[in-house]
Amino acid sequence: MLLNKHRFALLVALATVAAPLAAQAQRKSPLADAPAIRKRFELRSSRIELGAGAGSTINQDYFHTVMIGARLAYHITDWVSLGLFGNFGVAQVSTGFQGRVIDSLDPAGMRMTNVDREPDKTGAENALQQISSIMGAQLEWTPFTGKYSLFGKLFSAYDFYLVAPGIAAVNVKTAGAVARSCDTAAPQDETNPDKYVCAVKGTKLGGKLGVGFHSFFGQTVALGVELSDVIAQLNPSGRDVNGDGQADKNDLSWTHTLLLTGNLTVYFPSAKISP
Amino acid sequence: MKRLAISLSVCVALLGWTATGHAKRGGGKAAAPAADENAGGEGGDKAAGGEAAPASESLDTTSPEGEPAKIEEEIGGPKAQRPTTTLSWQDIVVVPRKAFIKSGRLELAPIAGITVNDNLIRHYMFAVDLNYFLTDALWVGLQGQYFVKQLSTQAELVGLQFNRISTMNRYLYGGQFNMGYVPVYGKFAWFNRSIVHWEIWALGGIGVTLTENISRDPADQDSKAFKNTALTPSFGIGSRFFLTQWLTVNFALRDYLIIDKYEPLPMGGVACTDSVDCKAKAPGVVVNNFVAYVGVGMYLPTKFSYKTPR
Repeated sequence: MLLNKHRFALLVALATVAAPLAAQAQRKSPLADAPAIRKRFELRSSRIELGAGAGSTINQDYFHTVMIGARLAYHITDWVSLGLFGNFGVAQVSTGFQGRVIDSLDPAGMRMTNVDREPDKTGAENALQQISSIMGAQLEWTPFTGKYSLFGKLFSAYDFYLVAPGIAAVNVKTAGAVARSCDTAAPQDETNPDKYVCAVKGTKLGGKLGVGFHSFFGQTVALGVELSDVIAQLNPSGRDVNGDGQADKNDLSWTHTLLLTGNLTVYFPSAKISP
Repeated sequence: MKRLAISLSVCVALLGWTATGHAKRGGGKAAAPAADENAGGEGGDKAAGGEAAPASESLDTTSPEGEPAKIEEEIGGPKAQRPTTTLSWQDIVVVPRKAFIKSGRLELAPIAGITVNDNLIRHYMFAVDLNYFLTDALWVGLQGQYFVKQLSTQAELVGLQFNRISTMNRYLYGGQFNMGYVPVYGKFAWFNRSIVHWEIWALGGIGVTLTENISRDPADQDSKAFKNTALTPSFGIGSRFFLTQWLTVNFALRDYLIIDKYEPLPMGGVACTDSVDCKAKAPGVVVNNFVAYVGVGMYLPTKFSYKTPR
């Protein structure tokens, strides 16, 4: 009998302790599984983005290509989209490096030394490669979205996105007339200047990686900036690269072309509001 | 019998302890009058909290005004969960506090960077920033740098393709005094699951960089190359992403304007004779040395407290 009383008292004690603990275990903040932001404008999801703008290649050896361009993207979800882009060269700006190299060559059109591979000034200038256009398609990932304040006064929604992967068709030409295309065999005569230079022309297929952001003005218009790396087999100088003593298609090498573009883009249809 | 009495006493004590604990979490309505008294009679944060929130910390789902009930309906989900919610008014604020306070703190930031605009020579920069924040948006700091050079492919090709040799300098060490300002503060959602705070800053600085010629003729490196302590103003922009109360990840792009001297070209076919002569004849140049770098900011003290009530 005494044993039963003890068991009863023990059960009461356990129940007394367990009941609040069980309640505490059930205590869960209603915010625990909630999205980070409610009632926000869905600025991307199921919307089409159409933009136009300008840009330039940067960090190139011989020419900065100033471009105008357009972009079209469909945002499948809030964080993934498929985009098409086209950038077309409108001006070729000589780099400082090009100036220093070319200016060091003989302006009279003669070689300054008896080294066969040394070009004359005009020959060197003509063979330099220029980019005519870059077009392609890309997959864009938008993991970062938010808003920022400028001096605590102006507020804007924004997103950051990554471009990976992208495919790009780079169309190139030479700065001037060159006697031989890189697709033809080089002359074997060591004293023939055409042995050491060839024209890099046509469309080269490559890949593209990049990062960018949009800063929104309202829910429809945004300013987009993108920095991308277009990787294709090019030869910026049109001259020997692999050291075999002649210039031909074997001198094409995977080359990074950094491209900085800005676009004013319009999104449609109207942005929905999230739950 | 004595044991039974002891057991019951233990039960009563446990009951009292658990009930007290529950009341401390604000789980009972009995706390409401007491909180009202505190709001009226005590100063400091507690009183401020009382002004900003109802007396009870829990949402009163039976409020005649209906506002808290509405909030719970939106945030708490199905009505069936109402009786178990302990959502607190203090969990919901109109303007959340800044997630990270820098004012009065010291930032120690190791940095790794790379020069991005030189076709011929690339420098890897390893540096340490030591910044003191005068306010949350303004800081002064010091930066010490160490450089490692690497010649680019183009530096080799210019000889193969044009029969020319490049004139280049390498950087050895540097130091900067900086002043920075934060004009942009923002936050973003990571796949709409969490919020990360960040900021954009701009800075200007002044310092020196120790440079050295890379002689066009390698045989002259020991006899004719000279070192130069170059005045180096700089400016840049960057951003901080706040990870914890003491840790940030920093990104920056900075232009170090190195007022340098290059190895002189032979004048009239006559080359300079030694390092002193070469330095005297060296032409001055201003080199834009753009460096992109990433760093980790560690803050001291490692914790901070808010000075104003929530």
